[in-house]
Amino acid sequence: MEFKDYYKIMGLTRDASQDDVKRSYKKLARKFHPDVSKELDAEAKFKELGEAYEVLKDPEKRAAFDQLGVNWKNGQDFKPPPNWDEGFEFKGGGFNNNGGNTAYSDFFEQLFGQAGRQPGDRHRQSFQERGQDSHAKIHIDLEASFQGATQNITLSTPEVDAQGHVQIKHRTLSVKIPKGVKPGQHIRLTGQGNPGLGNGQAGDLFLEIEFNNHLLYRVADGDIFLNLPITPWEAALGAKIKVPTPEGFIDLKIPANSKQGSKLRLKGRGLPTREPGDFFVVLQIVLPLADSESAKTAYRNMQEQLDFNPRKYLEG
Amino acid sequence: MNSHDLSIVYNGTIIEEDELTIGELCQACDTNTEWIICLVEESIIEPHGNEIHSWRFSSASLVRALSAFRLHRDLGINIAGIALVLDLREEIENLQTQISLMGVNGNGHKLVSK
Repeated sequence: MEFKDYYKIMGLTRDASQDDVKRSYKKLARKFHPDVSKELDAEAKFKELGEAYEVLKDPEKRAAFDQLGVNWKNGQDFKPPPNWDEGFEFKGGGFNNNGGNTAYSDFFEQLFGQAGRQPGDRHRQSFQERGQDSHAKIHIDLEASFQGATQNITLSTPEVDAQGHVQIKHRTLSVKIPKGVKPGQHIRLTGQGNPGLGNGQAGDLFLEIEFNNHLLYRVADGDIFLNLPITPWEAALGAKIKVPTPEGFIDLKIPANSKQGSKLRLKGRGLPTREPGDFFVVLQIVLPLADSESAKTAYRNMQEQLDFNPRKYLEG
Repeated sequence: MNSHDLSIVYNGTIIEEDELTIGELCQACDTNTEWIICLVEESIIEPHGNEIHSWRFSSASLVRALSAFRLHRDLGINIAGIALVLDLREEIENLQTQISLMGVNGNGHKLVSK
């Protein structure tokens, strides 16, 4: 079990006042809140921060934690000394009240878990209640939206056991990805959420769809974008080019005098959503290097033959 | 896990633009009707349909309502603040999408000749 230095996590020293703890929490919570933060591990960091705050804001827990001494380093292998918590009384208050199901680290559970939780709390109730809906994200390939697919997803749910310990239960589901799903949409699996209480029915499971990055395509809403590199002469004179789409190659007509960055739209060839999206080809004109005598001659010819000044507007 | 578990494939249904009722949205967010009405009044989420009984919400509303709930619970932000946070976040996401569409092809290489 790893030691967690709650002071370090909160960027505080051991002599921080309770006000410092509160202020630091507010500042870091804004920084790492998963709904705001763009940092990759924001969710894990926010959880860790919540746990640190849970301990340091509560004078009883903070005193108990301080008692462990100052020689432990964050991440170090840790075993609590025997009877370390003797003489401390945890009231069990101050826990985040989101169903008592928050998963704290093993370290936290070992120190405060048993004292802090009411064993079997949720099972004492005898009335019926529908289970809560649960949420998860699932990453799929763009092709799955075109063809449909079956994909496994592993869900981790914290569950409180009879002794009041929280354990992470893993469960793998095979999920059918329906055709025409787009990023940000949800798939609803009826009855796959949390179990109900008594004879209450189970909640639903909502899977939020995210697309894996694709080698060729970018997806925005139901539309698909492809960057297509073309030569200056294809852009200037027009051309017919073989272009990949998720449904196979097509012949695309590039109109003469096409400009850099212009978009050609293929209506209805985007994601096969209820109202099908469009497929956009974005033209990227690539200039050949003048790295041979004949290339240089070609450019010089252009210079002589074309009366072209792209900076006219800068000349006042 | 036994072989029985492996053979089950769960069929999901897509939540379309005009799918969720206010009751379903409340259940999905584990919150109450009043909170959802507040979100609608602040135009944080926008239902299809004119009156509360015919309101239908999209996946996007579900994402925003869940975020709103967490922002309120974790950071104590009030409803106007939540609206601002979510709108700014959406703007950032739109800009990021535009950046990813500009000048960089799918495998992350800039389109320049070598």
